[in-house]
Amino acid sequence: MLEQRLIDAIGPDAVKTAPEDLAVYAFDAYSEGPPPAAVVLPASTRDVAAVVKIARDCGEPIVARGAGTGLCGAAVPTQGGIVVSFARMNRVLEIDARNRRARVQPGLINLELSKRVAANGLFYAPDPSSQKISTIGGNIGTNAGGPHCLSYGTTVNHILGLEIIDDSGEVFTTSLDDPGYDLTGTLVGSEGTLGIVGSAWVRLLRAPESTRVWLAAFGDVESASEAVSAIVGAGIVPTALEIMDAVITQAVETAFHAGYPTDAGAVLLIENAGFEDDMAYAEREIERIVKSHGAISWRSARNAAEREALWAGRKGAAGAVGQIAPNYYIQDVCVPRTKLPQALRAVTHAARSNGIEVGNVFHAGDGNLHPLLMYDKRDARQVGAVIEAGNEILGAAIDLGGTISGEHGIGFEKRETLTRVFTTDDLATMARVRDVFDPRRMLNPEKIFPSGASCAEVR
Amino acid sequence: MTLERVVPASVAELRETIAACDRRGAAIVVQGGNTLRGMGFPPTRADVELVTTGLDRVVAHEVRDLTCAVQAGVTIAALGEALAAAGQFVPLDAPARRTATVGGTMAAGWLGPRRHRYGRVRDYAIGSEVVLADGTVAHAGGMVVKNVTGYDMSKLYIGSFGTLGVLTQLNFKTLPLPATARVVLARLPEGSRTRAIAHLTNLAIAPAALLCVEGYRKAIDGEDGVDGRLCIFFEGSEALVERATRDLRSALGRAGVPEATIVDAGARETFQRALDATIANVAERSVTYRSLGTPESAETRSLAMRDLANRHELFTDVLIDPLNGDAIVRVSERDTLAFAARIERFDDVLHEIVPNAVVIAGAAPMRASLRVWGEDPPALARMRAIKTRFDPHNTLNPGRFLAGL
Repeated sequence: MLEQRLIDAIGPDAVKTAPEDLAVYAFDAYSEGPPPAAVVLPASTRDVAAVVKIARDCGEPIVARGAGTGLCGAAVPTQGGIVVSFARMNRVLEIDARNRRARVQPGLINLELSKRVAANGLFYAPDPSSQKISTIGGNIGTNAGGPHCLSYGTTVNHILGLEIIDDSGEVFTTSLDDPGYDLTGTLVGSEGTLGIVGSAWVRLLRAPESTRVWLAAFGDVESASEAVSAIVGAGIVPTALEIMDAVITQAVETAFHAGYPTDAGAVLLIENAGFEDDMAYAEREIERIVKSHGAISWRSARNAAEREALWAGRKGAAGAVGQIAPNYYIQDVCVPRTKLPQALRAVTHAARSNGIEVGNVFHAGDGNLHPLLMYDKRDARQVGAVIEAGNEILGAAIDLGGTISGEHGIGFEKRETLTRVFTTDDLATMARVRDVFDPRRMLNPEKIFPSGASCAEVR
Repeated sequence: MTLERVVPASVAELRETIAACDRRGAAIVVQGGNTLRGMGFPPTRADVELVTTGLDRVVAHEVRDLTCAVQAGVTIAALGEALAAAGQFVPLDAPARRTATVGGTMAAGWLGPRRHRYGRVRDYAIGSEVVLADGTVAHAGGMVVKNVTGYDMSKLYIGSFGTLGVLTQLNFKTLPLPATARVVLARLPEGSRTRAIAHLTNLAIAPAALLCVEGYRKAIDGEDGVDGRLCIFFEGSEALVERATRDLRSALGRAGVPEATIVDAGARETFQRALDATIANVAERSVTYRSLGTPESAETRSLAMRDLANRHELFTDVLIDPLNGDAIVRVSERDTLAFAARIERFDDVLHEIVPNAVVIAGAAPMRASLRVWGEDPPALARMRAIKTRFDPHNTLNPGRFLAGL
């Protein structure tokens, strides 16, 4: 019945119900759920709207899905239902170079957009580490960040307007230029619980005139973190400040030969993009600061190839860890930048006391930590230890005035932890928005909001 | 009807006032520094004037974290001075900064000319505290610069004109204060504006603000005259500002603009005067419209508004922000009675040519009969539903926002 209606609406090619096809859509990069009842691959906003109407008639929940690179279970269909894959809605609909904006479909791969507009001297700034595979729609869903948020901000700062398919299959548009409530800003980061993106107007930036990348090695992550706060405190805001500890550095070096020192306790990758006039001063100051904070080596990438090699190491860090551990769990917490040393001590303590290995690679400039907890999922003890360590890290971040997700989202993973950050009143206020957009809780149910009885109105 | 004025000294007091009003069906007019009272409709009901200026603490300034937290009643100037003491700022670009409050500026979603470089005011808010109509005190975000924990509720409140709740605290990202600020002023010879805009919007080093002004006598350089002027604001390192000025001079030369004056001492004050001009009033005889849009169409939209005003025998002052795409036009008359008749006829047809022209300043008596929010946005039904869910008794700023939100 459901399958036939979907086929009638959007064609047999666009509907998948074979068990082996469904299994592919039951997970994201964090976890796995039961397979959905159907997967659809719409070709247009109209197709998506038709699917939503059918889902509503049949009482099936809808889960919108980008590339599945999400790290919090936000795209996992926990209640079955229909998964909407945007793999076929991956076009750049319009490039308006003069006004530095583009209209794109949600399935467009992030990096593809920058490639498409490079000839115009433009680029799309939000660049999550997964940008080679993750999609703009998925990025909008989680308000994705990345290493360059320090100076460019996160996805929400680059979305000018949205075309949204609502819970009943109607289409509406939002624009930052329209008077009225900022629905664009409210929808970004709502993890598909308020509506489904049919297309988006995104802001493009002019490519920087000059880009420099430097690498400093330190004895330990704490002194590297202190150096980061000192750079920013001195009034210099580079485009990226990324730290990798010894575990990560060695894994990356083995996998990519990026040119990182393998005998250091931590490396700090610094990128500054801007005007040539400011570069010499920035380089002098940053070098002076990192050395006065105990840097044991300092290196400047000499050309584009060296810059790319240094970045390839950073962006491939999580993948490289896959070569040294059977499984890893990547945590995502954010603390005020000056609290990084305490947060890192807490991470080390959480890992050690639970008897597991940890590697740290993180957006130091934003105070956004990503401990990679390594384990073997065939060993129940290790699984339990990782869960416990992950919880301790969340608690430490909250105690330090931070939060439980800087960029990966809440999804299914952290929804119960949300009550440790927000009061019932805070959550009930968010639920008022959800009541407006999805009163039946059919758009990506069981995500973001906790399940506890005290939060009944939130769910 | 007597308007009761309440100036709470604490969030608890503010919350009690709001909850009490909501229970007894009294309407609240929320007021910060009262500088943007020219935006939006006059309230349809008003029993209590709730003034936020008693909440005037800078709660925190974490210098090495580049964050701060301030209560809503802190003025933009006070926030600026507190941050400048540590060499930082938040680019809020508020007019009348000595009286404008942080809460009011954010509630109005004020948009300034530096947003091309720095982003919108809403992009700086990393956390908020708001009191809803039923007295609920709700928090969103936090004190970290990246945060995807829960919905980004701050975005919903910013620009909602106090119709969903009253902002009591905002947390911001801050930026290092640029070492050098410079304003370049130039007179535009007849017929050179379009060429000048084309050249200046393509500069390799974009100015922090680029304003093209016609009229707004004395507002910017203290001189009389209605000919076009450019007000270009640079900030950055000294080396960068020097290079930007050289590039600018040669671009002006190519555009046929012969002379430019450099203002270094007092550059920020000069820039502030340009900000102030955008809401400056001409007694009871003017209304200022702003239309947002693409940079490419800003000049066309502003000239269309000007020409229409001229056809209705209204005087105009024009301010074009070609980097952001803003067109701001103030229409006025010498005679109050004549103005009242002409502005209504002008407003009747204005939205046929510039659908999203919104009133940002002007004569209150006439505003109720103008379409001050332009055409309704496509997502209005959603917005209405949100208003109903947050403020079911229409207690907060009733009638002020568009379409009765």
